[in-house]
Amino acid sequence: MKLCDLCGKSEATVKVSQLDKDGKVTEISICAECARQRGFTEVEKLKANVAEIITELKNRIDEGDSKLICQTCGLSYAEFKKQGRLGCADCYVSFHDQLVPLIRRIHDAVQHVGRTASGGRKQAQQKMNAHRLRQALSGAIQDEDYEKAAALRDQLKRTEEE
Amino acid sequence: MNQNDATVGRWLAANGPEADVVLSTRVRLARNVAEVPFTHRATPADHEQTIEVARWALADSGYMDSGKFLEGDELAEPQGQYLIERHLASPDFVASKAKRGFYVSNDETTSLMVNEEDHLRFQVLASGLDFPEAFTAAAALDEKLEGQLQYAFSPEFGFLTACPTNLGTGMRASVLVHLPALVITREIEKVLRGALHIGLAVRGLYGEGSETKGNFFQISNQKTVGQTEWEIIETIADISRQVITYERKAREYLMKKLRVEVEDKVFRSLGLLKGARVLSSDEAINLIAGLRLGVALGIVNEVNLEQVTRLMVLVRPANLQAMLGEKLSAAERDERRATFVRETLVHQ
Repeated sequence: MKLCDLCGKSEATVKVSQLDKDGKVTEISICAECARQRGFTEVEKLKANVAEIITELKNRIDEGDSKLICQTCGLSYAEFKKQGRLGCADCYVSFHDQLVPLIRRIHDAVQHVGRTASGGRKQAQQKMNAHRLRQALSGAIQDEDYEKAAALRDQLKRTEEE
Repeated sequence: MNQNDATVGRWLAANGPEADVVLSTRVRLARNVAEVPFTHRATPADHEQTIEVARWALADSGYMDSGKFLEGDELAEPQGQYLIERHLASPDFVASKAKRGFYVSNDETTSLMVNEEDHLRFQVLASGLDFPEAFTAAAALDEKLEGQLQYAFSPEFGFLTACPTNLGTGMRASVLVHLPALVITREIEKVLRGALHIGLAVRGLYGEGSETKGNFFQISNQKTVGQTEWEIIETIADISRQVITYERKAREYLMKKLRVEVEDKVFRSLGLLKGARVLSSDEAINLIAGLRLGVALGIVNEVNLEQVTRLMVLVRPANLQAMLGEKLSAAERDERRATFVRETLVHQ
């Protein structure tokens, strides 16, 4: 039985590490009574607090996640959690960090392998690009950003001529 | 009446590999069109546009020459139920209130649903255990469609689907197997547990939530991310080959040790099918399943596997009515079903 380093009377049950000014660590073993007198008995309580803090943090993260909204389709993460279906392809970007652990749970993997989309026939892609540019162009005009609008118009012209 | 009045899909011809145990192989791909919200978030205008895009893509790639496209009222009941019974459309699709489009090839091996949970869900069915046939045809349609439209795809997650359970390959591959001997010898659980253990799903005749009527089981993949299409297929094909071996061994065992009991079951099924004056759909399926075992074992020779397999579809309520060209009450159906089955089996 190891006796308390402080009182030398009772059994030492608590290990205390002390860090002095020079960064040197000294470890002492003390008994429960000495630990209580010096305030070290908070250890157990502290452990409970850590669990509470983690739960609280998790709740806050969950709460934060629930408030996330996909900018493209307006679906909130809370709605997704309720109905299990995403609103659009961009939801996979908007909720990326939340979805990764979920996808891993379902599939034991996250990275896709196998067939890939070639992005469609070049023509289909051009149509899609032109559509995107037209949208950006009308946005720029609305924002009265004429410099950007001019650049977009030129880009659109090039796309359509290709 | 004779059974030539009714055509069924080519995949029901029971002429594919391992047809004594495996009814069919199915490969289904889920795809979404880029920049259109998923079906349940899309507007009616989006729905119509997706239907238009799909119809155009199918026409442009020649699929309309050998099939038809249905939409609107053409999908109203009893057509929906008819398609479900033929394994061509899903119950969710038929029940959906969104505007939908549907393509089916003339031989009923290829079908495509527009605006199901995902914009496009298409499948290829093949007779017996035949993934090369089913997957090659599904992949060919996939490529044709992609030539006409842009898919929602991410290099990280693969093909993007409304539900993350279908992500990645977007592929559900399955085999429909008939395992009466494993059920009789009570070995079935052991075998199916093996499939579940390696991450496959086992369901009944009509997929999710359906019971295992007539000892038919559907084995399919659950995971769609992290494995290539062929890796997924190989896993299912491997298990299928094992299941086939076990089922055949169990059939051999039954024929050796319990021949009289097996013959009794088979000939009772045949007798009831030939003699009954009233037959419910479920009873018919169970009896046909019993008869199918007899045909597969060579106990019954007066009908062949194809005739038995086609019956399984034709006795279903909506198919029966479509074949007879009449709308019937449940009681009328049971009577007409018995007549149809009897005449089919007696006039061989």
